[in-house]
Amino acid sequence: MRPSFFHHLHPPTIPARQARLRYTLAAGGLAVFLVLILGITGILEIFYYIPTPTEAGNSIQTLTFLVPFGGLVRNLHFWSAQFLVIVSIVHPLRVILTGAYAPPRQFNYLLGMGLLVLAILLDFSGYVLRWDEGIRWALVTGTNLLKSIPLIGNALYTILVGGTQPGLATLIRFYGWHIFGMTLAAGILVAWHIFRLRRDGGIAVPPPPLREDQTRITRFELLRREILAMLLASTALLLLSTFAPAPLAAPITASAPASETARAPWFFLWVQQMLKLGNPFFWGVVVPLAVLVLFSLIPYIFPKPVKPELGRWFPKSNRIAQGVALFILLSIITLTLLALLPAS
Amino acid sequence: MRRYFLLAASISLLLGLLITAWQESRHPKPIALTPTLTSQVEYCLTCHADLAEISSSHPVNTFGCVICHGGERLALEANLAHSTMRGGKNPSDFSVVQASCGGSNCHSGTAENSRDHIQRATTSIQATYAGAIANIRYTFGVQPDLKAVLGVFAIRVPESTSAITELAAFNPTQETNPFVQAFGQNCLTCHLSALPLPGSECIRFTGCSACHTPTQFPDRTDTTQIQSNQIHKLTTAISYTQCDTCHNRGNYNLRTMTFEPRQDLPTNRLHDYYQPIAQFTSCEWMLDCVDCHTRTEAMGDGNLYSVKKDIQYLQCKTCHGTLNDLPQTRTLTDPNDLAFRLALLNPVIDLKLGDTLLITEKAEPLWNIHVLPDGTYELFGKADGQRYVFRPVKGSACLQDPVRQDSGSCHQCHSVER
Repeated sequence: MRPSFFHHLHPPTIPARQARLRYTLAAGGLAVFLVLILGITGILEIFYYIPTPTEAGNSIQTLTFLVPFGGLVRNLHFWSAQFLVIVSIVHPLRVILTGAYAPPRQFNYLLGMGLLVLAILLDFSGYVLRWDEGIRWALVTGTNLLKSIPLIGNALYTILVGGTQPGLATLIRFYGWHIFGMTLAAGILVAWHIFRLRRDGGIAVPPPPLREDQTRITRFELLRREILAMLLASTALLLLSTFAPAPLAAPITASAPASETARAPWFFLWVQQMLKLGNPFFWGVVVPLAVLVLFSLIPYIFPKPVKPELGRWFPKSNRIAQGVALFILLSIITLTLLALLPAS
Repeated sequence: MRRYFLLAASISLLLGLLITAWQESRHPKPIALTPTLTSQVEYCLTCHADLAEISSSHPVNTFGCVICHGGERLALEANLAHSTMRGGKNPSDFSVVQASCGGSNCHSGTAENSRDHIQRATTSIQATYAGAIANIRYTFGVQPDLKAVLGVFAIRVPESTSAITELAAFNPTQETNPFVQAFGQNCLTCHLSALPLPGSECIRFTGCSACHTPTQFPDRTDTTQIQSNQIHKLTTAISYTQCDTCHNRGNYNLRTMTFEPRQDLPTNRLHDYYQPIAQFTSCEWMLDCVDCHTRTEAMGDGNLYSVKKDIQYLQCKTCHGTLNDLPQTRTLTDPNDLAFRLALLNPVIDLKLGDTLLITEKAEPLWNIHVLPDGTYELFGKADGQRYVFRPVKGSACLQDPVRQDSGSCHQCHSVER
């Protein structure tokens, strides 16, 4: 059989531990599967979505309610995107808590962080494309945050928004970034990331002489497990998409007052909560960027995991990195929950 | 065992697909309507196909739903579809009436084309409640005279031909007199923007629909049926029961500044029409209010007034004349005469050019009253189409003093006992 990228990712045999669900959580594989679903459903949506402020809401309503299975396609796209953000967080967390970023995988870890950022930005831009009352607050607040950046803030705002306030140019730009700019970058990074994964020796496990478990599984067993995960994920996505429709509100109109219960999308609620603390540049830009930089530098600034400890959870050699990651994660979860509390 | 995982997962996906297909099949088949006035497809009829057409002047194929009600025309999910409706169930509420019912081709035209309904209704004394506010403030010494300066909302009519060109908004919290404060708190219930008082007999919408959307009352003698509802209808055939959702329901007690509902339990029209204390003639309870009171009296004439008597001008003599004069008439010679449009909207009478109608002292057509060849008059009830024939006073044995035409004077001989 001719070698292919598929064979590159599925060698004849791999160490059993590399494909053990309770070790990998199947997060990387699920992310790839979700990206595929997002690609297919996204392409279908392109045929109906009209990226203008007056027609965006109507075209989404047409797709959702009037096109056969259009609502299902949109719901699948929505839920896949939410799960992609979740697995894009779970995946690096697993990597940190198992020390899997140990050399030579630091660079691939960085590529993964890039993908996490892209997953979040793609989710946010897709959210904005709804162009309905549900997204107005987050759009205005999010883009205004750019203005708070000293020196370059206004220029960044103009580049992103295309004017002095959100409008047609903004929607076209978000659309362009969403379906082309960021999608292209994500596609390249996904391919690079999984290419590097294989070049770095697959999922991190101790080198052969140090392995306690020398069992190996065939590529067919690996494929069987991947299919199993895909079947289960597909079922979950289908049921969610059938019974929990993606949010949709009335299209943005100039006359409508801003909702008092306006919220950011769930993955930015922690930033929304921090913004209540004061200085928007510090809490809305500096702190989130610092968190991202800190996460990205974990393989470089903290004690490195030792090879014999690879392939299992909570190795002793990188406890500091684990502690930092868990602390930040718990802080983000706490801030998110606080943001969800009704305003007193 | 593990080999069955794949089979089980495949079956779960299959089940998921079946459930999805089943759920998809449960969605209602969209019913599209493209009204000629908007040329934009809307799908409201998917759920509301059983709703009767609101009026013959607003055919659904021409107007659709969205042009009046707002809402999301493409949405088939109730919450979203209704989220942008104007005025909830009532697009004629005065807060949104301009967007819903307005437009120079609709109901915000000019007095010349008799389409200035919104201007007239929103400036009318029933909308501003200016008379009651002025009266109470004057009674308790807050203002020096009875001239209205406040309404339930602020409004300006620079071209008003009355002495009042603007009203500021009445804000009870800014009043210092406790009675006026209490009035503001308890008594602002009978203007056209106010929600109705509790009780099924008071159920009505606000705005235009307070009068033009009939409340469907149950048989009031059957106390097991206490529900009443508005129906999807706009009409100019307004029954006295609609007027009575505000009028004749009780009295305001000026000492306690509270509303005291009437205590009797009416069993028929005679007893239902007015409160027990009232005096009235037979035509005042057999006819409906709108059979005598004109559109200008009820909806205003576009000017601001301080008190009801400034706009309400009809008297018994308008229809019956006096001992010296017959009531005023007009023979229809102009096919564009307003009478034809009014008769078209409420076809209880078939008007033709050459017909002679009664008119009021301000030349408003009493389009439902004909002069018959024998000199008597034929009235068709606007609400029920009932035919009545009546005679003029002139030539009768009436003992009236032609100068005294207030209802109290007529009631001295013609009041009905109950």
